[in-house]
Amino acid sequence: MATPLAPGWTEHKAPTGHSYFYNNETKKSTYTRPIAQAQAQAPPPAQFIPSYGSGQLAGGFQANQFQQNQYSGPQYQGNQFPAQFPGQPPGPQAYNNGGRGGRGGFRGGRGDSRGGHANHDRRRQEPEDKPKHRYKLPGCDPWVLVKTKLGRRFVHNTDTKESFWKFPEDVMVAVIEYDRREREKKERRERGEPSDVEDEVAVMAEEPTAVAEVEPGRAAIVPVQNNEAAEDSSEYEEIEVTDDEEEAENGEGPSKRQRTDEPDDQPVDFDEDDIAYQLQAMGEDYGLDPGEYGIDEDGTWEEGAEGLPLTEEDSKALFYDLLNDFMINPYTPWEKVVEDGYIIDDDRYLALPNMKARKDCYDEWSREKIQELRERREKEAKKDPKIPYFKLLEEYASVKLYWPEFKRKYRKEGAMRDTKVPDKEKEKLYREHVKRLQLPQNTLKSDLSTMLKAQPLSQLNRSTPIEAIPSAILTDLRYISLPPKIRDPLLEAFISTLPPPPTDGVSAEDQEAEAAKRRERRRREDALAEREARVQNDKRKQQKDLAYGRGKLREEEMELQRAMNVGKDGLRGQLMEQLGEKDERSLVID
Amino acid sequence: MPPIRSARNRKPPPEGFDDIEDTLLEFANKMKDAENATHEGKKRYETVWPIFQITHQRSRYIYDLYYEKEAISRQLYDWLLKNGYGDANLIAKWKKQGYEKLCCLRCIQTKETNFNSTCICRVPKDTMKEQHTIECVSCGCRGCSSSD
Ligand SMILES: [Zn+2]
Ligand SMILES: [Zn+2]
Repeated sequence: MATPLAPGWTEHKAPTGHSYFYNNETKKSTYTRPIAQAQAQAPPPAQFIPSYGSGQLAGGFQANQFQQNQYSGPQYQGNQFPAQFPGQPPGPQAYNNGGRGGRGGFRGGRGDSRGGHANHDRRRQEPEDKPKHRYKLPGCDPWVLVKTKLGRRFVHNTDTKESFWKFPEDVMVAVIEYDRREREKKERRERGEPSDVEDEVAVMAEEPTAVAEVEPGRAAIVPVQNNEAAEDSSEYEEIEVTDDEEEAENGEGPSKRQRTDEPDDQPVDFDEDDIAYQLQAMGEDYGLDPGEYGIDEDGTWEEGAEGLPLTEEDSKALFYDLLNDFMINPYTPWEKVVEDGYIIDDDRYLALPNMKARKDCYDEWSREKIQELRERREKEAKKDPKIPYFKLLEEYASVKLYWPEFKRKYRKEGAMRDTKVPDKEKEKLYREHVKRLQLPQNTLKSDLSTMLKAQPLSQLNRSTPIEAIPSAILTDLRYISLPPKIRDPLLEAFISTLPPPPTDGVSAEDQEAEAAKRRERRRREDALAEREARVQNDKRKQQKDLAYGRGKLREEEMELQRAMNVGKDGLRGQLMEQLGEKDERSLVID
Repeated sequence: MPPIRSARNRKPPPEGFDDIEDTLLEFANKMKDAENATHEGKKRYETVWPIFQITHQRSRYIYDLYYEKEAISRQLYDWLLKNGYGDANLIAKWKKQGYEKLCCLRCIQTKETNFNSTCICRVPKDTMKEQHTIECVSCGCRGCSSSD
């Protein structure tokens, strides 16, 4: 490890014990040792690695001022989106169902690969797939059966432009029927019966683009299912995976292989755009990279992928979501949040480019959050402290007790000891209340009625339960002036005359707002996922380029070496000539 | 050490203390650890660094809560300083221009240094000739100039 560092870099120790390297000029940090000569070839650091940006060095002890409180960056490339896309339908699982566990590209389902960009390693091995053939389904009109290059099948509705891996029930019937016919055809052919030409012709007529190019007499399309399994309808619920390996295992003759190999050379033979779009959507569902589901192989992204921009605000909002979801205590210092590391495994952590941005965002969030908390508390405090005291008054206040006596007698009661209602106010309320108790009951009743009528409908309405009387009423002396026995029936009667809560308009709006919020959040998360995928894609490309560049460099080096060899020999030859050696052997060396 | 809340000192802290109590307790624990940490393998002057650093962090925490985030009341802020949770003198310096990030009070005392000047950590990075990292002797600060 004693390799000299590239100029400008210094080595440091993170509290985790890792060494990292910091470049004072570029303000960049890395865990990979920047070696002097290797530096030129080193790939630019991938964007998604949280780096010690320049800003991180500001702000006193919170950052690099001391060695403490640094955290190790690159290890947080985690890829988990905890339960982030709740709405997505589950992908097909259990492809090995029915004993056909081939090495199908999608084996294993999606499992934990949430967010569409996890499991890159797995995905990389996945073969590229594209729609290959379309077959009309007998008696099931807008639906067509599409077979992909890898032999997977899905159904596509040409009217609605929908596609499904899992066949809808009515379509499945048609697929079974289709498979049966195909099987029969195949069997006939295997028996050597030429037969059924009309039948085939009929199919061709129905779907000329699909079959036209198939040589006559060849097995055009053979059902994917094994004969014995075809009747088992559960088979159709899963994606059909066929590949050569499996064929070989089945030990069935060349007739089967024929059909898998044959169509490969044919052009994709139907309106590719809409199918491709569908396949892409499905591919994304399975967490494939665009390049892998065959949309675009030259590395540029199709428009759709660029269509979800991730603005700075989105990034911030994502980070806010993250902090909210993890229920971070806003009073916690940022360094502690980082130290705890809970949020770091989440992809939304990477929504912001560097630690400075994250810290700023956290500060903003915590300030707002604390403000929010305070407001809520103030609201609670406003209604809370008086209520117990009013209960105390209602229960124990008596015309026979003066305030000092009452105070002494009930001094141990919680409501009496509570300092949030000052003594002065307690006394005032007591005196007033006792005075009211001496009023005639009719006056008290009409007072109560006046008070109740003054309540806004949003606070008091037909659906207000008697246990949840708003605090404005509970802390009104007119409410406790009457004994509950008389008061409560009056109150109930009054409530029953009220209209229902005026919530309809409000709640619809609220719901709308809520839904909009959810949509917005979903969009952000999608955009982030896409960006991550893009970063991955770029990175892979970069690595490819790098590998290419290395190869090129090696070639050049070799060439150089060769040139130098020549030079040396040439030089030696010259020297020898100069030495007056006439020996011709020296020239032969070249 | 700030006083621990006990039955003896009756008067409860101002409202809002509950919100930050956990964090303050953590600082207290860190401080305890730092105080009890062995000096083995350390240079003599290094042993006091953690103490200064935690003092700084805790003061900064309180300062931020009051001035930056407006998360605590003046009452609680004053109470915290009075009870030693934050270093009032250090915080007082932060309010002055050019001292916004000052690490500790020692580093601006000219008497203690050999050259009759403030600590090296106060020197802005861009005015230093050599680009190597520095660590001041008094508190381990690696630079606390406002322009850094
Ligand atoms: Zn300093
Ligand atoms: Zn210092």
